[in-house]
Amino acid sequence: MRTGSYLRRLRSSLLSRYLLIIVIALLFIPVVIPMTFIGYSIFSAQTREDSPKEYAPYTSIAKLETRWHQEALNLLGQPPESINERIRQLSDEYALAGMFWVDGQGKTQLNLAPADSELRKQVHAEAVPEQWSAAEAVAFMKKSAALEPLAIVAFIGDREHAGEGFMVMQIPDALRDEQSFDGLGSWYLVVLILIFAGFIVVSLLFFIGVRNRLLRLQTAMSFTGGGGVPEPVTPGGRSDEIGRLEEAFNTMVSELTASRAREAEEEGLRKRLVSDLSHDLRTPLTVIRTHLHVLGKESLSPRGQESLVLMDQRIENLSGLIENLLSFNLLSSGRITLQLERRDVLRVLRESAAAWYPLWEKEGFTIGIDLEGEALYWNIDESWFRRILDNLFQNILRHARSGLYVGIGLKVQGSQRVIVISDHGGGMDSRSDSKGAGLGLSIVDLLLKQMELEWKVESSGEGTHILISRRASSDNLNKI
Amino acid sequence: MSITLLYVEDDPEIGSAVSADLRERQFAVRWLSSGEGAIEAAAGCQLAVLDVMLPGLDGFTVGQRLKRAYPGMPILMLSARTSIDDKLQGLEFADDYLTKPFHPDELAARIEVLLRRSGAAAAVPLQIKHLIVYEGNNVVQEAATGREIPLTGKQFQIFTYLLRHLGQILTKEQIYEAVWGESYIEGDKTLMVHIRYLREKLELDPAAPEIIETVRGIGYRVRA
Repeated sequence: MRTGSYLRRLRSSLLSRYLLIIVIALLFIPVVIPMTFIGYSIFSAQTREDSPKEYAPYTSIAKLETRWHQEALNLLGQPPESINERIRQLSDEYALAGMFWVDGQGKTQLNLAPADSELRKQVHAEAVPEQWSAAEAVAFMKKSAALEPLAIVAFIGDREHAGEGFMVMQIPDALRDEQSFDGLGSWYLVVLILIFAGFIVVSLLFFIGVRNRLLRLQTAMSFTGGGGVPEPVTPGGRSDEIGRLEEAFNTMVSELTASRAREAEEEGLRKRLVSDLSHDLRTPLTVIRTHLHVLGKESLSPRGQESLVLMDQRIENLSGLIENLLSFNLLSSGRITLQLERRDVLRVLRESAAAWYPLWEKEGFTIGIDLEGEALYWNIDESWFRRILDNLFQNILRHARSGLYVGIGLKVQGSQRVIVISDHGGGMDSRSDSKGAGLGLSIVDLLLKQMELEWKVESSGEGTHILISRRASSDNLNKI
Repeated sequence: MSITLLYVEDDPEIGSAVSADLRERQFAVRWLSSGEGAIEAAAGCQLAVLDVMLPGLDGFTVGQRLKRAYPGMPILMLSARTSIDDKLQGLEFADDYLTKPFHPDELAARIEVLLRRSGAAAAVPLQIKHLIVYEGNNVVQEAATGREIPLTGKQFQIFTYLLRHLGQILTKEQIYEAVWGESYIEGDKTLMVHIRYLREKLELDPAAPEIIETVRGIGYRVRA
């Protein structure tokens, strides 16, 4: 079962397909070469004129050679006349070949050339010397070895040391079939080139196919659809590696889409939860606060009135805490996108300070606001920047009340202006009672980060300075 | 003459308590527990107070319909949701916004400011220190002598703008942009010059102003 699926997978693998191409190409060579010969001979047999009938005895050189040596052996010890006689007989039999024989003294005894002048020229009958010197013998053998023309040489008696000379049969080129194979070399080359070209074309097609499918996949991966998720690819119907890759890609896309949908659903749920929670917490607080107010109109002792004021303050604080808690929930989950715009922060600071001013006044704070000078443009989300300031001012009112001072100013640091919010309270470290303050400051931190701003707290026993500046990495245009 | 408010609140406890409190403050209150019929009920009202979370039609929809039907009527939204989505969505048409749990005094103060701004309360003369202001008639009088103080157009505009935001600190930009209708350029002395002349006319001692107070580093304020 397992082996079956493995084999199936192997069969549909790109690797095995490519290996198949190579194996076919390799097997093709030994198959195609004999086929070339066969094909050629069939081709040439059909196209070439048949050689004349009288050429037939000369087609088998080996037979001729055996016959010639046999004749030479038979002539051992015969007188020259008998030899002449026999050779003449042979020459009648093989009229188209040239024949001569040389005696033991190197003298040419009989030189019989073919009657046909063309054949006669081919056997070089005239070039046979009357008297053979060693040099002439060597020259003749060299020519024979080079088949110009083909010569069958046999010592009379078929033995070199018989000393009775030798006899030669020369077969003209025209009688042999050799030129018929001249074209084979180029034919063979053409077929080989065709095989290799075919192999290259098949390989190329194979790789172009693979490449096209990969490119299609790559395009599908790099173009994202509406939801920022790539569209699935239409499967090619093949189950090779790329087919499986396409399947895997489609699975990934569908999982991604599902996870996006889940995320959006979670986001909606979270927002609704926060919203419902806020409603459910604030409604009873509103009821309590309204009734506290009604209660306040009854005749109460000064202590009772004091308690009411305290309760009212606590409700106010609780409301702020709810707001921060829910904001933090949304902010920290990354569910809120800030709308950053180029704004004059000094203006926002002044407006925010204007809203807080009456409260500070009521608490008897000394207020030092120095925001003179040219507008200071930062990329901020105005409503969230106000929230930052609200949280910082709220913090001062709650935890640095002892200093009775709030300062809002500017300071030049390096090449840029920074906002400084200061108080004369006991410093951040002394705020051990400040439960819930951490949340407000965490929101400040989160929001500042998202606006590409940074803040630094310089805190000591004499007070706290909070410096807000642009992050060094953000663009340095319009810095002052 | 009593001022009538439309109040839409689904929570009966809050609704009854707030209505009672507003009635005690001499407002006539039409309290509805849902947005149905709000348009009809709003006829003759000078201001609407709407809760955002209402059964059926939500407060934003009701508010938008009211604003279309009565463009001049100020709308104050009350919300128990966090201000994150509400503020952006709500303030497009609403004139003011208050988050629960609000203090009844705060609600009353916001209502006063909105009424003053819309002119609904302008018929009532306003006394500030030694002055009586008849906003509808563009008249400022000395309370003790009844002498009318003549003001130029711009001076009166500045003064009424401050009066409509009684007790609120207004920045130089806000005043300049409201009165001149142009954006304020830092360093422009026009507003300061106008305030100086205004003080010379209004204040008993222009060197130690009591009516138009300078809030250092921020702007100006007229306290009730």
